[in-house]
Amino acid sequence: MNSESDRNSERLSGQHVTKRLLSYLKNHKKGLAAAFVMLFIATAADVLGPIVMKVFIDDYLAPRHFPIGPLVLLAVSFVGLYAISALFHYGQSLLFQKIALRVIQKMRVDVFSKVQHLGLAFFDRTPGGSLVSRITNDTEAIKDLYVSVLSTWVSSGVMMIGIFTGMFFLDVRLAFLCMILMPFILALMWGYRKRSAAVYRVTRVKLSQLNAKLNESLQGMAMIQAMRQEKRLRREFGQINDEHKTAMLKNVRLNSLMLRSAVYSVYLFGLILILSFFGVQSFGGAVQIGVLYAFVNYLDRFFDPINQIMQQLTLFQQATVSAERVFGLLDDERTAPVKKGSATPMIEKGRVEFRNVTFSYDGKTDVLKNISFAAEPGETVALVGHTGSGKSSIINLLMRFYPVRRGGIYIDGEPLDTYADRELRSKVGLVLQDPFLFVGSVADNIRLSHQDMTDEAVRKAAQFVQADHFIEKLPNQYHEQIGERGAAFSSGQRQLLSFARTMAQNPKILVLDEATAHVDTETEEAIQVALEKMRSGRTTIAIAHRLSTIQDADQILVLHRGEIVERGTHQSLLEAKGLYYKMYQLQHGKTVPGRSAAR
Amino acid sequence: MRIFADLWWFFRQEKWKYLFGIFFLMCSSFLSLMPPYVVGVIVDDIRAQTLTPLLLGKWIVFLILIGIVYYFTGYVWRLLIFGSSIILAQQLRRDLFRHFTKLSPNFYQKKRIGDLMAHATNDINAVQNAAGEGILTLVDSITMGTMVIVTMSVLISWELTLIALIPMPIMTVLTMYYGSLLHKRFGKAQAAFSDLNDKVQENVSGVRVVKAFGEEDAQIGTFRQASKDVVDKNVAVAKIDGLFNPTITLIVACCFFLAIAFGAGRVVDGTLTIGGLTSFTLYLGKLVWPMLAFGWLFNLVERGSASYDRIRNLLAVKPEIVDEEHALRKVPSGDIHYAIHTFSYPGSETVVLQSIDCTVEKGRTLGIVGRTGSGKTTLLRLLLREFDISDGRIEIGGLPIKRTTRDALRSAIGYVPQDHILFSATIAENIAFARPDASRKEIERVARLANIHDDILQFPDGYETVVGERGVTLSGGQKQRVSIARALLADPEILIFDDSLSAVDARTEVAILQALKKERKNKTTLISAHRLSAVEHADLIIVMDEGRIAERGTHRELMKNHGWYAEVYRHQQLESLVLKGGKAVEQ
Repeated sequence: MNSESDRNSERLSGQHVTKRLLSYLKNHKKGLAAAFVMLFIATAADVLGPIVMKVFIDDYLAPRHFPIGPLVLLAVSFVGLYAISALFHYGQSLLFQKIALRVIQKMRVDVFSKVQHLGLAFFDRTPGGSLVSRITNDTEAIKDLYVSVLSTWVSSGVMMIGIFTGMFFLDVRLAFLCMILMPFILALMWGYRKRSAAVYRVTRVKLSQLNAKLNESLQGMAMIQAMRQEKRLRREFGQINDEHKTAMLKNVRLNSLMLRSAVYSVYLFGLILILSFFGVQSFGGAVQIGVLYAFVNYLDRFFDPINQIMQQLTLFQQATVSAERVFGLLDDERTAPVKKGSATPMIEKGRVEFRNVTFSYDGKTDVLKNISFAAEPGETVALVGHTGSGKSSIINLLMRFYPVRRGGIYIDGEPLDTYADRELRSKVGLVLQDPFLFVGSVADNIRLSHQDMTDEAVRKAAQFVQADHFIEKLPNQYHEQIGERGAAFSSGQRQLLSFARTMAQNPKILVLDEATAHVDTETEEAIQVALEKMRSGRTTIAIAHRLSTIQDADQILVLHRGEIVERGTHQSLLEAKGLYYKMYQLQHGKTVPGRSAAR
Repeated sequence: MRIFADLWWFFRQEKWKYLFGIFFLMCSSFLSLMPPYVVGVIVDDIRAQTLTPLLLGKWIVFLILIGIVYYFTGYVWRLLIFGSSIILAQQLRRDLFRHFTKLSPNFYQKKRIGDLMAHATNDINAVQNAAGEGILTLVDSITMGTMVIVTMSVLISWELTLIALIPMPIMTVLTMYYGSLLHKRFGKAQAAFSDLNDKVQENVSGVRVVKAFGEEDAQIGTFRQASKDVVDKNVAVAKIDGLFNPTITLIVACCFFLAIAFGAGRVVDGTLTIGGLTSFTLYLGKLVWPMLAFGWLFNLVERGSASYDRIRNLLAVKPEIVDEEHALRKVPSGDIHYAIHTFSYPGSETVVLQSIDCTVEKGRTLGIVGRTGSGKTTLLRLLLREFDISDGRIEIGGLPIKRTTRDALRSAIGYVPQDHILFSATIAENIAFARPDASRKEIERVARLANIHDDILQFPDGYETVVGERGVTLSGGQKQRVSIARALLADPEILIFDDSLSAVDARTEVAILQALKKERKNKTTLISAHRLSAVEHADLIIVMDEGRIAERGTHRELMKNHGWYAEVYRHQQLESLVLKGGKAVEQ
């Protein structure tokens, strides 16, 4: 079931992945050039080493001719070549790695920025966990690819070319003979890549299932224990664990069959070629032993890069899949609604108007039908209704979380989508039912990114919503660090902080999305006082569960299944004895049916 | 090397696999010594002009045979050794999960889920590596190293071997040193990456807040910083990582140089053939890996040990709440009696509950109200025995809850927690969580009771709709109601509602409470709530204040009390009085 919903929510970019990956290198031309130069120098030194040996063996050792001068020169050049190789190899690998890391940083920032500008329609459909994985783990997989491609594959490839060059320099015929090995090597690589792709994918899927199961079980452990489902969960986890093991074993089997052992066979084949060549040659006359030595030496080194490339082929699989996902995310078109037009209207008065707004999240069912209302500057409009009646959708649209396609929303007479983001966000303050707090101090959470806000202003905002009482009781007061999601605070305290955060921005329009749902009655009293203060001079759109909290609203809209079925003041709605009256009765009246039976 | 002693139980368990694995590994190592020898012999034969086509053919056939056998042994040892390490990982993961299911809520309050996940993934991987690659490097560095050295000494010359090997230990020492440096830096790089992950996690979870406050650019800024930190830490790693190969190259070059310089001398004085020297240098090349493996081994072992220690520490965490010896398996039943003198959370000084004395008769409903942090939730969680009380007791049917097994206790209780946890499964599976075998009819029945049936039918796949991370997102109220249905399905004698109606609206709340009333005759219900309407009809209401029972009684009695309850209740009622046109509503 997972993979299916995955497919629905995830967009892949299958096109030109490699091309796009390479395009990230454009900004690093100089660095790459320097790295390549170093790589060439180092490889040249590597290739020259056996040739020096060959000269030594054939010109001096075999004829037993040992003049001091040339020998010292040979010795020095031999050691010197290795030193050069070591130095430049270090330089190139470091440089390639640095480039790879910077490329990935750029990619990460790109993806993260992109995600910031995606609309809530995207977030609704994308599980948070997998999104996080996109930004961090997938880019990490791509990083591995870059690092290995740049520092291992490129250098291995250059090394292989270098070795062949050396071989051709020493003996053209034998070098051609050695070329026979290439098809074998390529076939092996191709075969392995093909086979491992499938096996590898299964392993990944199992691993992610394993982790998901573990994560979820840990999160819900209290529930699992309270419901006595430990045994069942153990069994379920055990099953996934077994499947994962089986997949891993398959992987090991494939690697054992097609990696080092297989490469070694090709190596032996090459060795046989060389030995036969010289052997056969020796039947007809003298052979240069030095050349044989150099060839055997080259062959030895030749397979190191191949082993390295083969072992990292799986990285390529993972990285390609990851890159497809990352680019898919970068290409996602579900961006947040943005400002349209070139006008820069400002929100001065705070008049909010909905004109015939109809809205649907999925394009099928309309959750809002023909909604029209206006909140005059300074007025409070309350939205009430049954769960799922569309209250939150109205707020989501007003906050421009979703684009309005049918009908229009106007602030101060201008269409909502003509406002710049900055203007909209600073003038429209939202308080959510679930107060989300960031890691950081209490003050950080009130101040957010507005670094120019003084401590005094922070304190004032806290006082304004009466959060100062509990903050001042904290050991470090405003500098108290908030743990993971403010777990150390009660829900009421968290909500108070989120109030302070909103008020610190001094918005023109206040949007309360069931803001008092999680605040205890006692605190709510204080908050009602604060809200009164907050609302004065501000247009307020409020959703409330408890009708008592909104009865002084200038206008109450009663929603039912996406429609406004009643509107008026508290008093007039009660008099109308409609849905609102019923709701109110249920909450406050004595005529709750069955109440007497409870006694 | 302690890790190998620590893992001895596993090696014993899989002894045949390891024995055969090591045997075949040694065979492979031995076989790989053949080709250099053959090269040397052929070189000498060529030099001496004694090579015949037949001889060459024989050697080639020999090499082919070696290739075939090597391929086989290589396959077998990899399968046995790496396969075993995978089994070890599986077992550890299973044990860890098993242990996780036994640990108390207090443990989960102290630990971050992310860290626990890391133990179950990274640490197990490190141990797996120690049991796989660790064994490989240990065996290979010892046997292969010894074999190569012995072959070189016996076949060629022990003096030359000694001379050529002089630089090798330097390599081992250096790679070990790099390894430990690398480990430290790698740890920092991991930490930076994990910070980055946390940052993204937070951002994604708080997307609405981020958007509402226009914090996108600020978030990008901090993310850029965090990702920059990742780059810096990784470059530090690369600086060390890149040292390995050049160091090896240099040292091997020195060995080669020594071998050839001194070997050439011997060729001149006739004690060594050129073929012998060629074999010798090839063998020297074969020594690189064992030496390297030796240095690498230390890192594998070090990491494996550290990880295994962490895993063992986790496995050693004693569940705080355990069944007493001879605890009763009988499902408790009867009146609930709280007699708590004081209670503090483990490791905390703050007294959360004090002088709680209260009885709920079987079949009655207890309402618990009071401001946030007054101890309502604690009172309920203690009944579930999520924590043990040291000073006082809770009894059900006259029997302290400590005397029964947790399993029995919890089978008597249905629990609807404050934060509604649903699992990534279908709605039906979520409701049937406590009784996976429940029929669809039963599931639908409790869904109706919890007033969620109609909502469920409106989902794309009805009861088969997947919820959670990978499925549809339910509203807070819907989650609460699913969680209520889930608790109802087990039809427990005691039902706990921990502020479980906070996100449903008034009408739904009434409907649910009514249904409960009808459904749960002779069954006990404990409801904590912020909204007094949820407890108004309870048989007994207690008002908590700073961990004490400040008021108690029925709604009627409490109203007469003129305390917190009456005040809050009146406050809620006040407006209704006024707004009903001033018509008085009698209490």
